[in-house]
Amino acid sequence: MTAVARSWGRLTLAGKILFTVIPILLLLTAGLVLVVVLFGKPVVDFLAANLWLVRFLVAATAVLLMSVPTAFLIIYMEMKVIALMNLRIGPDRVGPFGSLLSVVHGLKVLMKEDFSPTGSDRLVFTLAPVVVYMSAVMSLLVLPFAPGLFGADINIGLLYLFAVGGLTVVGLLMAGWSSFNKYSLLGGLRSAAQVVSYEIPLTLSVVGLLILTGTMSLNQISLNQAGWFTNWYVFQQPLGALIFFIAATAEGNRTPFDLTEADSEIVAGFATEYSGMRFGFFFFAEYVNVFIISGLFVALFLGGWNAPIAWPEAWAIHLTFDPGSTGMGLLFALLLIPPILILALAAPFYVGRSSLPWWQALIIGFVLFNVLAIVVVGGWAFISLDWVAGLLWFLGKTYVFVFTFVWMRGTLPRVRIDQLMGFAWKWLLPASLLNLFVTALAVIVMNPR
Amino acid sequence: MDAALKRRLEARFGDRLTAPVYQRHDETEIRIGPGDVPDVCRTLHDEPDFQFVLLADLAGVDTGSVMQVVYHLWGDTSPDWLRVVADGLSRDDPRVPSVTFLWQGAEWMEREAYDMFGITFEGNRDLRRIYMPPDYQSFPLRKDFFLPDDAARSPGAGVRHMEQVHAPRNTRTADTIRKVRA
Amino acid sequence: MTAAPPHGQREAPSDDPRVQLDEAAGVFEPVPPYPPRTEREAEFYTLGDGEMFINMGPQHPSTHGVLRIVLKLDGEVVVDLDPVLGYLHRGVEKLCENADYHHSIAYLDPLEYISSLFCEWPGVLAFEKLLDVQVPRRAEYIRVLSTELNRILSHSMFIGWMALDLGGLTPILYGLIERDEIAEMLAALTGQRLLYNYLRIGGVNGDLNHEFMSRLGDWMSRATTQIEANLGLLNENEIFVRRMRGLGVMDRETAFRMAVTGPSLRATGVPLDFRRAHPYSVFPELEFDIPTRDEGDCLARYLVRIDEIKQSLRIIDQCIHNMPDGPVMAKLPRLLRPRPGRAYAAVEGPRGQYAAYVVSDGTDQPFRMRIHDPSFVHLQSVGVLMPGHLIADAMAVMASLDPIMGGVDK
Repeated sequence: MTAVARSWGRLTLAGKILFTVIPILLLLTAGLVLVVVLFGKPVVDFLAANLWLVRFLVAATAVLLMSVPTAFLIIYMEMKVIALMNLRIGPDRVGPFGSLLSVVHGLKVLMKEDFSPTGSDRLVFTLAPVVVYMSAVMSLLVLPFAPGLFGADINIGLLYLFAVGGLTVVGLLMAGWSSFNKYSLLGGLRSAAQVVSYEIPLTLSVVGLLILTGTMSLNQISLNQAGWFTNWYVFQQPLGALIFFIAATAEGNRTPFDLTEADSEIVAGFATEYSGMRFGFFFFAEYVNVFIISGLFVALFLGGWNAPIAWPEAWAIHLTFDPGSTGMGLLFALLLIPPILILALAAPFYVGRSSLPWWQALIIGFVLFNVLAIVVVGGWAFISLDWVAGLLWFLGKTYVFVFTFVWMRGTLPRVRIDQLMGFAWKWLLPASLLNLFVTALAVIVMNPR
Repeated sequence: MDAALKRRLEARFGDRLTAPVYQRHDETEIRIGPGDVPDVCRTLHDEPDFQFVLLADLAGVDTGSVMQVVYHLWGDTSPDWLRVVADGLSRDDPRVPSVTFLWQGAEWMEREAYDMFGITFEGNRDLRRIYMPPDYQSFPLRKDFFLPDDAARSPGAGVRHMEQVHAPRNTRTADTIRKVRA
Repeated sequence: MTAAPPHGQREAPSDDPRVQLDEAAGVFEPVPPYPPRTEREAEFYTLGDGEMFINMGPQHPSTHGVLRIVLKLDGEVVVDLDPVLGYLHRGVEKLCENADYHHSIAYLDPLEYISSLFCEWPGVLAFEKLLDVQVPRRAEYIRVLSTELNRILSHSMFIGWMALDLGGLTPILYGLIERDEIAEMLAALTGQRLLYNYLRIGGVNGDLNHEFMSRLGDWMSRATTQIEANLGLLNENEIFVRRMRGLGVMDRETAFRMAVTGPSLRATGVPLDFRRAHPYSVFPELEFDIPTRDEGDCLARYLVRIDEIKQSLRIIDQCIHNMPDGPVMAKLPRLLRPRPGRAYAAVEGPRGQYAAYVVSDGTDQPFRMRIHDPSFVHLQSVGVLMPGHLIADAMAVMASLDPIMGGVDK
């Protein structure tokens, strides 16, 4: 027994983790295989009869898994972009140009002490970040990333989104109250007031759009904007789009409306007492929210997954070549083309620069081959698979707006709570009502029924 | 060196000055007793002859034999700094009326003089320590302030070697402290 | 040593008032654990209906140094406040009493560390009055040149902090660029980036050198445009201007009542600048204006400081062009024994009046070295200006008065 204890003591932390985790994983896999073999057929039959359930489970899992890398990317982007705007360098140590920083941050918050302050309500304290994060992730379910590529096509998608967005308020209030700290309380109350106030212009600005589209399903709204970019709803609802943008900034607690986390006044607002993974949840939730509001803006007003120009049918490229039909030729192609191309791409560098060792030339060739392969395969996918094209357009447009939010954070100061509330109730609400009436009037005038 | 100011001061306050008006470089100095401080300051502040509206500084001084409170005033009517020295406060229980009724900004300066010297400003609404912790016993800028004595009275005294008092006590009697005629 | 109390029980409270103070008065309240000792303390520490205390403790991202403010809030509105000082108190005045006249100049530097040349200057001037030393003209010009550079440095940092307290993350880094360039310049001249220790009794520590002049010339050629560009970030930003306008209005009477000097006083409409009102050094020969504004709000205080930067650039220009030749240090005996007496000297610094009152007893150590610091006085105004505003505005008001805790706590 002591030999085991001694060997265990000599392991590093990584070793200890691996030695514990791997046997558990193996056992689980064996157990799962056993379960599947023994009870598999009835379950598979049930699932085959209810494919919608399978689809939903896969979609929900994918959305959950996807939210974390998205948050990572946006966090890194925020740090790097704001640093460059501040004439600083920002993260540049952890990966190439510091790109692995978010990963390291994620690991770091996992390793912190599980701490809750004296006098706090532990259950509520722990659940608050979960509520906030879940509301963010649930919103991702209905975003239409590409034709056919969405979590669920709920026909009251917009209503669902606003309802779930309201859950954030509950989470913030839970956080503020359970921290047993006056700063947190102030921050939680401020943020609750802010989010609730701006939900009304947010919802009303979209109602005008609903009159035009007649449907609340985000998928359908994106489909309606197919064709040229003049079909996009931003040209039919400019005021609505503007109000939505401003209200969404306030909903996401972004600058200039970020008083809830105004660290020059109330330290970290509702998140003052949070550390470790609980704070990580708040952090990720905020950035997933940024992604959601950008994605929503794009889906509602900027055409969703549609390209700005409609490729005319006469010029459509149809790639009818089916690689599988070549049979063995495919195998030979996969084996021979990469080395030949690598050598072909490396040769100019090797020949042109006398001081370059052959292996460096090969590495350059390999990298260039990869780039070429990505371009070729991506291009093929872009042209022939509509969901790839749609996804790329959607993500591209969304990240333009994420960049805009990050840009606003680096540039603008924050407004005061009373200015913020005044702006919501005195300006945005009347403006969104005006937008609604004008839209309704226009619809009646132009389509009398 | 503003001779006109000297004449005005002697004419107005003649009997209350405890020493001749002293001028050197760009400073004019008058000395009064502590009880005269409110009247003199109000006169200097309000009367159109003087109009010294800006309180530039309020300092306590421990000359070794007496305590003083020194006010520096500035006004448009004279190119000189006016120094008002409230002289002759006893070192055991120095008391001076406060000037916070004229300048609310003197409140903290008087608190600092109280904290550092123990001078009580009668009429200051907030006369508590400003730099030292609220339970501090001595007054640091006094000439008979002796630091090991202070450490000896702290709650941690005596536990470790460094916290014990090794220096001889009673070294700062009135004879051995530094004095100045100022 | 007493035995440890049984697990889970606190020690029995003792009668010694000092020990009672060492115990926490309740883990969560900033109310002091002893009965109020003064009228003001009693007034402040009694809560009205719906009010609460918040402690902006010595560690806080927004107080300009280690400052503790106990705020009494009614919701978000500040009803009253009580600043607690002393966290940075180093006993500079007492240290100077035990040091040589020359050594005490080095003690004066860390008072307001951002504008340390202005902290040294009144001490040095007071010593020179006691010693009746005539400072050479070249030394005076170099003093003016370096202190005006220090003023620009201080104001650039002020702009940065003002923006940071309002939420803008970028202007402080632009302010730091300015500060860095000037700090490099002054490092070439004095050897130090922050606590310069450059002024000496009778002159300055060293003459201008080539590196300083080349950096200065390079910077001056682009200073105006660079500063204009940086300022454009804030002046034209709607959110900044709307938040600062009409905030923390201080009128003339309040300013004189609170003994406020410097840009905060000039923002209320009083053109009082000691460089013109009570000239010292070579300021009678230099041409510059005194910027004033009438509104007395945060925006006015901010704009006055910006105008002062422009005037400082004018002064630096004149200093460079009219720099006379000659020694940079007067001839003095090694052991300085000034005549017994008293001297008061004041200069106009970036925050207001910096002054020193020195009492000398004829020995080589000052008998009493009293330092008057503008931040200390201005921090009292915070108690007058803040009540009635929201917390966010309260921090903006404090930032606009520009306190530096090193000077507040001496």
